Amino acid sequence: MQQKGWSIFFGAILLGAFLLFAVAPFVGWWLPANVSTFGPDVDRLFYIILGFTGFFFVLTGAILVYAMYRFAWRANTKSHYVEGNHRLEIAWTVVPAIILLFIAVSQISTWDTIKYYASMPNPDLVMQVTARQWDWSMRYADKPQPDNARAWAEVPAIDDIYLPSELHCWKGANVRIFLKTQDVLHSFFSPQLRLKQDALPGKTIPVWFNATDANTSYNAKTGKWDIDKNKRWEIACAELCGGGHYRMQGMIYVHENKEDYLKWLDGAKEAARSRQPEKKPPAVAKN
Amino acid sequence: MSVSHSHSTEAHAHPELGFLRKYIFSEDHKVIGIQFLFSGLIFFLIGGTLALLVRLQIGFPQGSIPFIGRWFPLSWGDRMSPDFYAMIFSMHATIMIFFVIIPLLTGAFGNFCIPLMIGARDMAFPKLNMMSYWFMWPAFAIILCSFFVDGGAAGSGWTSYPLLASATMPAGQGFHSPASPHSGLGQICWLVALVFVGISSMMGSVNYMTTIINLRAPGMTLFRMPLTVWSMFITAILQSMALPVLTVALILQLLDKTINTTFFLPPGGMSFGNQHTGPGGGQTLLWQHLFWFYSHPAVYIMILPAMGMVSDIICTFARKHLFGYKPMVLAMAGIAGLGFIVWGHHMFQSGMDPRLGTGFMLATIMIALPSAVKTFNWLATLWGANIQYTTAMLNALAFVAMFVIGGLSGIFMAATPVDVFIHDTYFIVAHLHYVLFMSSVFGIFAGIYYWYPKMFGRTMNETWGKVHFALTFLFSNCTFYPMHIIGVAGHPRRYYDSTLYHFLDNVQSLNVFMTISALLLGVTQIIFLLNFVWSLFRGTKVGANPWHSNTLEWAAPSPPPHGNFLETPIVRRGPYEYGNPAIEDDYLPQTSPQPSGVPVAAH
Repeated sequence: MQQKGWSIFFGAILLGAFLLFAVAPFVGWWLPANVSTFGPDVDRLFYIILGFTGFFFVLTGAILVYAMYRFAWRANTKSHYVEGNHRLEIAWTVVPAIILLFIAVSQISTWDTIKYYASMPNPDLVMQVTARQWDWSMRYADKPQPDNARAWAEVPAIDDIYLPSELHCWKGANVRIFLKTQDVLHSFFSPQLRLKQDALPGKTIPVWFNATDANTSYNAKTGKWDIDKNKRWEIACAELCGGGHYRMQGMIYVHENKEDYLKWLDGAKEAARSRQPEKKPPAVAKN
Repeated sequence: MSVSHSHSTEAHAHPELGFLRKYIFSEDHKVIGIQFLFSGLIFFLIGGTLALLVRLQIGFPQGSIPFIGRWFPLSWGDRMSPDFYAMIFSMHATIMIFFVIIPLLTGAFGNFCIPLMIGARDMAFPKLNMMSYWFMWPAFAIILCSFFVDGGAAGSGWTSYPLLASATMPAGQGFHSPASPHSGLGQICWLVALVFVGISSMMGSVNYMTTIINLRAPGMTLFRMPLTVWSMFITAILQSMALPVLTVALILQLLDKTINTTFFLPPGGMSFGNQHTGPGGGQTLLWQHLFWFYSHPAVYIMILPAMGMVSDIICTFARKHLFGYKPMVLAMAGIAGLGFIVWGHHMFQSGMDPRLGTGFMLATIMIALPSAVKTFNWLATLWGANIQYTTAMLNALAFVAMFVIGGLSGIFMAATPVDVFIHDTYFIVAHLHYVLFMSSVFGIFAGIYYWYPKMFGRTMNETWGKVHFALTFLFSNCTFYPMHIIGVAGHPRRYYDSTLYHFLDNVQSLNVFMTISALLLGVTQIIFLLNFVWSLFRGTKVGANPWHSNTLEWAAPSPPPHGNFLETPIVRRGPYEYGNPAIEDDYLPQTSPQPSGVPVAAH
């Protein structure tokens, strides 16, 4: 009996592992609420893989534990003498191969949607984000769609607005971010947007998203734009960038509509002007 | 090295050697293997201690650790500084990968097992073998000293991505880095140490390949070799093909850091606050390609030998013929072959052309196939077996159970859209620990309990071995399994303090749970340590073949003398003749004469 106890021990631990995954979504240990247009596709693929892997986890775990129980040591007996079985080998090669191929192929279109440069939708709002040790510098043009966006991403214009770590957009807008870094590798990560992209030294990388929900509203009392406390969508850095890696925190403000965004943009311009009363052009580095 | 060889069975063909030649500068593959084992276990302690410090910080990010300020001047009083934290997780991974798992699997078990299991007197190049161990010592010294250099040891992760790792001051302004205090001398030490480790591994793998090809005993055809030997053979091939690329990458970064070349610095140079590096001309991504071209095959270098060892241990204690010997060999070869074309899956979000990601994804998902084949064959081997639950067997079974989890979680990351979310989250940390700790380390434990009698002529205590196994299995699952969950919640890795983030509020309780489990896991290893040392002197003495195993090493005395076999073994069959109904015993060693009435095996 002591021999068979080991199968129960293994079974208990594997069952615990299974139960943790079964319980986790109901106690809030799960995917953050999705707010991007391609997020449902990402989540669907996640659940497809979870389904297949969960099935094989239970199957192999059950076989292992049962075999450990059933075939525990008995004196004066011999194991079943068999060297292999070609049919079985072919079966458990071909079936997983088909499943894996299905999983692999089903990813391609979503990956294409999220990342392929040629597939990105025409932007309603263009901005440029520069990561640096340790914050995000967000650069906005004075209008949502600057002329020749690609060139604007490389060469700042005189009336650009810079905000540290605040990303503003509006619900339903196709947002195009030109992602750069000033120093080391960083990675732009928004869990709720299901979006992650490294910022690569010396490169400008286009990133896009479209938020399906808003979290920002104008507070007439304070004259500020407030975020719904239950919808704090943070930006995190996902690529080690030195000691302050953990505190490269940003915040995403999704306005209800374009009008709200433009209203906010006007206010931001005003604030920027009040910070620079003489309207001098930004100092050009001597060299 | 206090190895308690019993002196009753000294070498016949070899002259008596002095202590220094016999135990220190030894050319005997068994002594070299045991040397790798001892140094690997010592570094295991160091790397494990670092891991516990990492866990303490994650579990209690605002907590203080008594005396840490006195011991580590880089910390913030009684708290770790974020830079200090970056240093300890970087060094934890570096030590575990390059100084523990690879040296234990290939250095210790490769050295000890290969000649014994193919019936050779020693390695093909004994002096080269000795050098492969002693080239580790500069690495040991440099990596340990690096903790005490100006700025502390390397802190850019074990991957040492530029520019965090490689950025350096303009020429003539010293070795400090504008990117991080740890990227100065500490990073240079890291690079030099790894070059030495690489040279050591290269010497080992050349030796293993030559030995396996040339020195097999009469009758030991390739397809009569135990899977341990096959796995070491395939690993050696992988290593010899991948290592030069890593060595080149290390030297390129070393040049960037010391004589201000710009292999990894982009043309415009980069700004760190007010400091500018000056113009470059290179490519940051180049490092990632070179690094992962080695380090992805290295992932298989860290698992294949454990797979081989576990296969042999399972057959021995299941008292059953291995199910599907040739499919198992082919699966390992398949993993090794595909392993060379999947490195890009570490770089899906890196900014390389996303179309490349699609190709790498297809190859990566298909590499799950040979792993699945291996798992099914292990399960089929257990089906109809007669299982002896020794400590070695329990660890081997844990390997199988846990490798399933590590293998299945890999599919999530291979799928590029899902990887967008889970890349660089704790899901990855969970996955890699299920492969490296839960699989490789359980494989290593299984190997130690299994071959300990052959190494030292005594067995380890079985009762304490089982206590150690049960607690390790329980606590390691409690430590690593919830990492999947917090990864799904989006918890990024390498965070000094995750409580700053609203979306991680829910999972901090799991972090505390994992930290406590990790501390218990660490304490549990004291049982292993005491059992290991105690058994060196007081373990039960055993004969040549205590487990009634078939493979050749058990035909040699325990411990085998210099020269291994008293007479050259003649191999008459494959290694897995367990439970053959035609004979009385339930095992038939590879060297035994053919019993009457049993047909000679075809292979």
